[in-house]
Amino acid sequence: MNAIQFILAGMLAAATPFLLAALGELVVERAGVLNLGVEGLMALGAVIAFIIVYHGGGHLIGFVAAGICSALLSLVFAIIALVFRANQVAAGLAIGILGQGLSALFGKSYESLTVKGLPRLALPWFSELPIIGGLFTQDIVVWFSLAGTLAIWAIFTFTKTGLVIRAVGENPKAAHAIGYPVILVRTAAVAFGGMMAGFAGAYAAVVYTPLWADGMIAGRGWIAIALVVFGTWLTGRIFLGACLFGAVSLMGPAAQATGMDVPSQLLSSLPYLVTIIVLGIISADRRLLKLNGVASLGEPFER
Amino acid sequence: MLDNLTRRTFMKGLAATGLAGALGSRLAVAADEPLGIALVVPSPVGDVGWAHALAAGLDPIKAAYGDKVKVTVIENIPEGPDADRIMNKTVADGNKFLIAGSFGYQNGALQIARRNPGVTVLHASGFQVAPNFSPFAAKYFQGTYLLGMAAAALSKTGKLGSVSAFAIPELITSINAFTLGAQAVKPDIEVSVVWVNSWFDPAKEQEAAKALIAQKCDVIFSNAQDTPSVIAACEEAGVYAFNLNSSMKKYAPKTYLGCVATDWSPFFKASVDAHLAGTFKGANAFLGVADKVVEVVDWNPDIPADTMARIEEVGTKIADGSFSPFTGPITKADGNEGVASGKTMADAEIIAMNWHVKGVTTPLPK
Repeated sequence: MNAIQFILAGMLAAATPFLLAALGELVVERAGVLNLGVEGLMALGAVIAFIIVYHGGGHLIGFVAAGICSALLSLVFAIIALVFRANQVAAGLAIGILGQGLSALFGKSYESLTVKGLPRLALPWFSELPIIGGLFTQDIVVWFSLAGTLAIWAIFTFTKTGLVIRAVGENPKAAHAIGYPVILVRTAAVAFGGMMAGFAGAYAAVVYTPLWADGMIAGRGWIAIALVVFGTWLTGRIFLGACLFGAVSLMGPAAQATGMDVPSQLLSSLPYLVTIIVLGIISADRRLLKLNGVASLGEPFER
Repeated sequence: MLDNLTRRTFMKGLAATGLAGALGSRLAVAADEPLGIALVVPSPVGDVGWAHALAAGLDPIKAAYGDKVKVTVIENIPEGPDADRIMNKTVADGNKFLIAGSFGYQNGALQIARRNPGVTVLHASGFQVAPNFSPFAAKYFQGTYLLGMAAAALSKTGKLGSVSAFAIPELITSINAFTLGAQAVKPDIEVSVVWVNSWFDPAKEQEAAKALIAQKCDVIFSNAQDTPSVIAACEEAGVYAFNLNSSMKKYAPKTYLGCVATDWSPFFKASVDAHLAGTFKGANAFLGVADKVVEVVDWNPDIPADTMARIEEVGTKIADGSFSPFTGPITKADGNEGVASGKTMADAEIIAMNWHVKGVTTPLPK
């Protein structure tokens, strides 16, 4: 296996935690809410899923429980930020710190234990293709998150639900005037985002790196938030961004393992450099931001 | 058992202990007051790893002294001003013996030692010395040399790999000795290194291990990782792996090559004894097999018997000081002479090593 094959084979799995969390955050931001607590929500999902899988509950129940717990924690954010109209940035940060604290607390007696991950499923025919074959041998969660990406794109593009979420995010007053329950839609979006962050954490702890260690999310929640802006609030671009990020993060070890003479510090910081550069390019294009940005992002709604 | 405090419960206890501390100092019953020993570590004390090894090093002291000592372990304290504050607090609470378990605690811990002459401070992996302040480090290289010999005997591809945290001398030395040990068995063996530039990121560590395995490395050295991420990934991929500090055999029952284990208790015990006797003198403690601090345990039964016999022979020579892995001639990775023929590197040179030996194919980050 050469370096290119290694990157292609691992890219989607590396991208999945980012993708799941970023898709959730996309829905939240599309509804006009900025939830910065993704890191903590992921950590909580990770520890819950790990505990359940460790005690033999199975991956499915682990994922479901992680989704529910993180959704519940994100509802606490919804109550503070939407019902009591607290500053969303501050409330999100607080919930994120709370989530990390809870994960450390629950995970105390599980520190550096391991579980079994999930088997990889090969797509017939495609997985035997030369070079790119590795792309088509993935675990089931990767396949599901690809389907989820498609579903979220379809919902925003073709369905009324998608339009209502966008209306609530763009102009909550107008949405309210024509009878849509703004707070309820936003709360549902926040809960969905929490659930997706929970899934993302669960994937990190019981599939991608099947072990629990306090702090193992290691900033991936923040990257997910950046990816939403990176993708200018468009599902397809967020997917591409996540894949790029996954590929770039594998490039570091792959290049070093082959003995390339590139400073490892540069390789380690490459994913973040790429993020900063792309964010810079996007922010330079005002039109792009105006066109796709969410008009009432982060603003509390008052009737 | 140790009193494990997390940062949170520690903070919660601040009010209560503050009051108790004030009362205690007023009553001043120094004679029968137990010696307070505090250990501060940067990561959680799990079942394995660096923090675990440090905490376990205090168990024999508890057993030996019983009620005469009171051990407090404060875990998960990030390097920085928070650590300084918490270390100061432990001393203010009456602890007279502080173990600062991370390189980055150095400045804060040194200040505490200077301000409190009656307090003895041990500091992990540092270089500063004061009359009541001793830095300590393990000669991991004595063990990684032996594991290099075993790795070379088991490798079919002739390529070994290492997932390493940061390119600092302590870790570079371990990789160099590993490479030299492997070359002692198979002269043309190669070692690839992936620097993850993080002490703690299990996902990144595992990605690095997989990248090395994809490059046909079939023995992996998990260099200074606190979690079993690399070891577990290697078991899954069916390649041999080993690590430092504490055994992770349970995470890789089949492919666990061995562990360069550290047992800090002889050093901790000697330092506590010296503190109690009033004879403690700060010095640079670079501890190895001869000090009973470093020992290779859990050898894999797959290692061929003749290699194992050679390893044991070399191990004995390292223990009695008649052999050092860093004995010339040693060539640097860039082709220049590292150690002249017949010469042996001194401890001070080993501690400051900033070049790879020939055979390490990954260039050293500058």
